[in-house]
Amino acid sequence: MNTTSVAQDGMIELDDAKFSKPGWFKISPRVILSYAALLLIAVAYLGPLLMLFNTTFLTNREFNRNATQLPGTLSNEGYEESWDDRLFFASEIPGSISFEAYEAPWAEGDLAKNTRNFFGYIGDLFSNYTTAWEQGDFAQLMLNSVFYAFSATTLYVFTAVFVAFPVARGYIKGGGIVFTLFLIALFLPPALIPQFQLMLGLDLYNTRLGYILLLVVNPVGIIIMVNYLRSLPRELDEAAAMDGCGYVRFMFYIVFPLSRPVIATVVVLHAIGIWNEVILATIYLTDESKQPITRGLLEFQGQYGSAWPVLASAVTLMAIPMIILFLFLQRYIISGLTQGAVKS
Amino acid sequence: MIYPFGEGRQRWIPYLLVVPGLLLYFMIALGPSLATSLYSFTDASGTPGGEVNWIGLDNYDEFLFAGQAALDNIDALERTIIFSVVVSSMQFGLGLIVAILLTQGLPGTRFFRTLFFMPVILGAVIQGLIWRLFLYPLGGPLSTFLEQFGMYSEFLGGQDAFWWVVVVQIWANMGITMVIFIAGLQTIPEELYEAAQIDGASSLDSFRYITWPMLTPAVNTNLILNIIGSLQAWILFLVLIGYRPGTQVLGYIIYAQGFGATGASNAPLRQGFAAAASIVLFIIVLIVGLTTQYLLRRREERLLG
Repeated sequence: MNTTSVAQDGMIELDDAKFSKPGWFKISPRVILSYAALLLIAVAYLGPLLMLFNTTFLTNREFNRNATQLPGTLSNEGYEESWDDRLFFASEIPGSISFEAYEAPWAEGDLAKNTRNFFGYIGDLFSNYTTAWEQGDFAQLMLNSVFYAFSATTLYVFTAVFVAFPVARGYIKGGGIVFTLFLIALFLPPALIPQFQLMLGLDLYNTRLGYILLLVVNPVGIIIMVNYLRSLPRELDEAAAMDGCGYVRFMFYIVFPLSRPVIATVVVLHAIGIWNEVILATIYLTDESKQPITRGLLEFQGQYGSAWPVLASAVTLMAIPMIILFLFLQRYIISGLTQGAVKS
Repeated sequence: MIYPFGEGRQRWIPYLLVVPGLLLYFMIALGPSLATSLYSFTDASGTPGGEVNWIGLDNYDEFLFAGQAALDNIDALERTIIFSVVVSSMQFGLGLIVAILLTQGLPGTRFFRTLFFMPVILGAVIQGLIWRLFLYPLGGPLSTFLEQFGMYSEFLGGQDAFWWVVVVQIWANMGITMVIFIAGLQTIPEELYEAAQIDGASSLDSFRYITWPMLTPAVNTNLILNIIGSLQAWILFLVLIGYRPGTQVLGYIIYAQGFGATGASNAPLRQGFAAAASIVLFIIVLIVGLTTQYLLRRREERLLG
């Protein structure tokens, strides 16, 4: 029997069910050892993430005194002082709510006031995020990143399918050579230097267009596409051609819809790559208004390097969209990365 | 292959549509990549309109033989190789162990897999900053932990900064190795294990005679990706410790020399020199990559017949 993990639409799935046999869950030494090992590794993965998250809720003074404490519990001291710290910190933020408006939520007084205070407290808890968002101009940075990811990925996917399909089908002479040229990209020397000279020559230094052009290249995506398109039945082409369908129409009405899974995979991988790109942004985009969020974060770190609570909030703000997207699109990401590992 | 969509002018349409993608690839990636070798023989700077002179092998001569700086370069070269050997072997081993642990059908598998893969999508800037915080030397989590044993480390500010980058690099990329192994493990038919069990094979036997040989495609992919990837990796060095003498790898030298990020104020952009360093790195990647591929292919042939 062929136990394949390739789903119906050609996606490579990591199928947990395959490994769960009936009666698997017996507490054996082996199971205990497995969990012990997994938990140990999980600490190394969760630890840094939890530390990041916890730090976002600390005040600077709390962090400096004891970086690993939970928010609102200054070590060896009462909660009250920590509360004062928050007020102090809040008052430092330009435009924040005034100093007197705060009372500890458990303070004596009427319920309405305490409730108001409670929400004030919640607001304070997130004050590092608002500081980071405003001081780092994150709205602009995120907008830039989204713009680059969207435009470059769209451009890339269209050009890539038009290259991958005829190469997969052998519809162009020298298709094999073209495929090899994409394959060897892994080994080639870094292109940074001549690229820079080229961008200077084309007058594209410090332009959005130039940056996008640099991001419209991704040999791995083309290889993934070619491998997938080879599996589309050739009879489709012949049948469509017999019915008088032209090449362009065929591409748009048959090839694109049928390659949805692989396009999704390539789109996700490419967009993640762009979202995380920082080197080209550092080299080419000197105008702050054009920079993506990675570059902005590095600059922000230069300014707020010692103010970890605000910096950690900035990092979290950038990481959260990726983590959410990842949880939804995991299937596509993993399918793309494991392509070719299963075949030979 | 016979082209079914008409003859004559119709026949040119696929060629026409291939042009944008190919042109971009040649212009942005392949062309510049190959032109790196040409620039390595020049004194190109990064200033617009600057003069570019052919200076022969001077850059290579300087990189390899010019006094203390050259010795530093050789050190960086060694460091690059050490980095690659340690990172790729650790990542390979850890990825394999985790993949095996996660294909036993234990409850919680999906959670662990998601967690271990998470750093991959976060990218170098976030990975680096998260670890800078985790390795905060004044009472950060790891520092507090070491304190329990009366130890102290400056982590990224100290002598072992390089090794901490190694740790973060493995942490960041182990997930890729893991999912490739999981996908590979899934292609092994369950019947083989059942038959082996009936024949009285131990788990170790099963691994040695079934899992390991059947995993060959995944092993090969992972080895090549890990080795080449780690030889070329350097961005975590930038985010974690910056350009500091005694810690750089080759990739970082290329960037720092070519784009004036050596930390010295008003450092000139030495793009010809950086191009020469790129070629040195390329030669190493080529030698190591081809050797690995050759050895892996020989092993595959031995296994198959």
